[in-house]
Amino acid sequence: MTVTFKKVVFCSLCLLILLVLSALSAIYFGPAKISPLEILSIFQQGFGGSTQGVIILSIRLPRIILAGLIGAALAAAGSIFQALLRNPLADPYILGISSGAAVGAISVILLGYAAGGWCIPLFSFIGALLTVLLVFYVARTREKIQTNTLLLAGVIVNSFFSAVIMLLLSISNGHDLQGILYWLMGDLGQADYGKLVLILPYILGGVGVLYLYTPKINLMLLGEDEAGQLGVEVETTKKILYLLASLITGAAVSVCGIIGFVGLIIPHIVRLIWGNDYRLLLPASFLLGGSFLIIADTIARTIISPVELPVGVITAVCGTPFFIYLLRTRKVL
Amino acid sequence: MKRFWALWLVLIIFPVSQSQAKVYIDQLGREMTLGKPPRRIVSLSPGITEILFALGLEHSIAGVTEFSDYPAAAKHKPRVGSYVNLSLETIVSLNPDLIIASADGNRKDDIEKLAGWGLAVYVVNPQNLQQILNTIQDLGRITGQEQQAKTIVADMRRRKQAVTEAVAELSRRRVFVQIESNPLITVGQNTFWDNLISLAGGKNIVSGKATGYPRYNLEDVLLSKPDIILVTSMVPTGKEHQQLAFWMSWKAIPAVRDDRVYVINPDLVDRPGPRIIEGLERLARIIHPEAGFSQP
Repeated sequence: MTVTFKKVVFCSLCLLILLVLSALSAIYFGPAKISPLEILSIFQQGFGGSTQGVIILSIRLPRIILAGLIGAALAAAGSIFQALLRNPLADPYILGISSGAAVGAISVILLGYAAGGWCIPLFSFIGALLTVLLVFYVARTREKIQTNTLLLAGVIVNSFFSAVIMLLLSISNGHDLQGILYWLMGDLGQADYGKLVLILPYILGGVGVLYLYTPKINLMLLGEDEAGQLGVEVETTKKILYLLASLITGAAVSVCGIIGFVGLIIPHIVRLIWGNDYRLLLPASFLLGGSFLIIADTIARTIISPVELPVGVITAVCGTPFFIYLLRTRKVL
Repeated sequence: MKRFWALWLVLIIFPVSQSQAKVYIDQLGREMTLGKPPRRIVSLSPGITEILFALGLEHSIAGVTEFSDYPAAAKHKPRVGSYVNLSLETIVSLNPDLIIASADGNRKDDIEKLAGWGLAVYVVNPQNLQQILNTIQDLGRITGQEQQAKTIVADMRRRKQAVTEAVAELSRRRVFVQIESNPLITVGQNTFWDNLISLAGGKNIVSGKATGYPRYNLEDVLLSKPDIILVTSMVPTGKEHQQLAFWMSWKAIPAVRDDRVYVINPDLVDRPGPRIIEGLERLARIIHPEAGFSQP
């Protein structure tokens, strides 16, 4: 299957339409029954209206945009990690970013600064960045990064921080424990426009730059030596891929905790449908990941409304059967 | 003939031991035998610790769990782990003659193990204010502090009645409790919070929609229009303004618009002990300031 620029544009357009459709239907669902006509007039009036207006514009809309952005970011980062580590099991969290971010977030919760709104995102982002640098430092041997060393370094750092998380959990009291557990499950309920603006540059900028590297990623998938002979600066490219994908993941995790499964499964779904060409795989994963998380989060917040489920539960429960179906019909990864 | 001797021995000794050892049924229906009044008691939850101190048993407490921080003297008692994560070895090494456990919090297999080793374990399981009063009486009875328990319970009953009478004729204000803001966690039915809010003349907006401590949708808080929002926070942290800041952007909620968002110490409400009556009075003063009952 050859991938032309035309095909990339066409597939991306289709997925963009899917994204817009899922966002539009998501805005209709919620504990408050608001008809599509009312929603339309709310959009015309803008901010500062009735309770219904607040619900649509200040609760549902930022949450849907955030879900789309996070899902897109995680799926794109996951596809990059799968290429970088040449491992189908790779997801954005495999190199320990999530547990590093979690240590940052949990420390803030335990110190009692959790309520401010900004502290948890800030410290989990710092935790994620420190983890990225630590893994990078551990894995680097003579200016080169061996894929297996990187994977091993990531897994080791991950298990170290997981142990720190367990330690913090076991010395925390009941009140904090619940907040920590829910953070670990991932949550999109805290969406506001401030957070969107905060993470948007990291995610759009990161994915944008990564897209420029997709031809090189394609060559590197043939083998690093071959890519080197074809003029790709393999080591530099690997470092850039690693740092950008980590930055995107860190930004995503910092505002909504650890939402699993999206980053693992969406790239595989795209791969099963359209093949392994990253010029298409990256943008398609980005857009499909967005739609997927919007739909999953809509189910999570409405299925036993007004009580909410952790969105990670829905991503796994809905994603797995579809993935198994694809795997059984295509038989190849 | 030897058998006869044994029989005689049993017949002679049995009435004697019968008069000393008493069999008690705990709140889970388990049997527990206790000899003389216990003098080395291990408490397996902060609430139980508070009850034991109130009963005047300070010098009979051999061990308490982590976070037993009230009264201040409880902080100096030996620790036996946190209530979900007990150190059984520490408990046994304290050589207790009575262990008081809580069905809600302590693990069942821990309780069974301790009892299986021949230790006297009494399990309490209070679910509301009335059952807390019963629990104080039960613990007074098994520790030989019946008179003390009666005094405490009589005082608590009187204060509870003062509250319920003061709010009886007043409209039931709508209350939302925020346990955690990130993510939003509240309290539903079958909790001390729900029970106390209703006794204090309020109505928990989550009641009837969810039980326990659910993760909650912010939209429904806006729709339910609570008159009062209670934010739980350990006092004194000095970080209440951060807790309150979360709500300030939701002016559509009556509680926020009318500046009726309050910080409250959760230990006064969800810790089943004597201080829960203080929690009830505080809630009543917040929900119905116009009722005007005096400070205790």
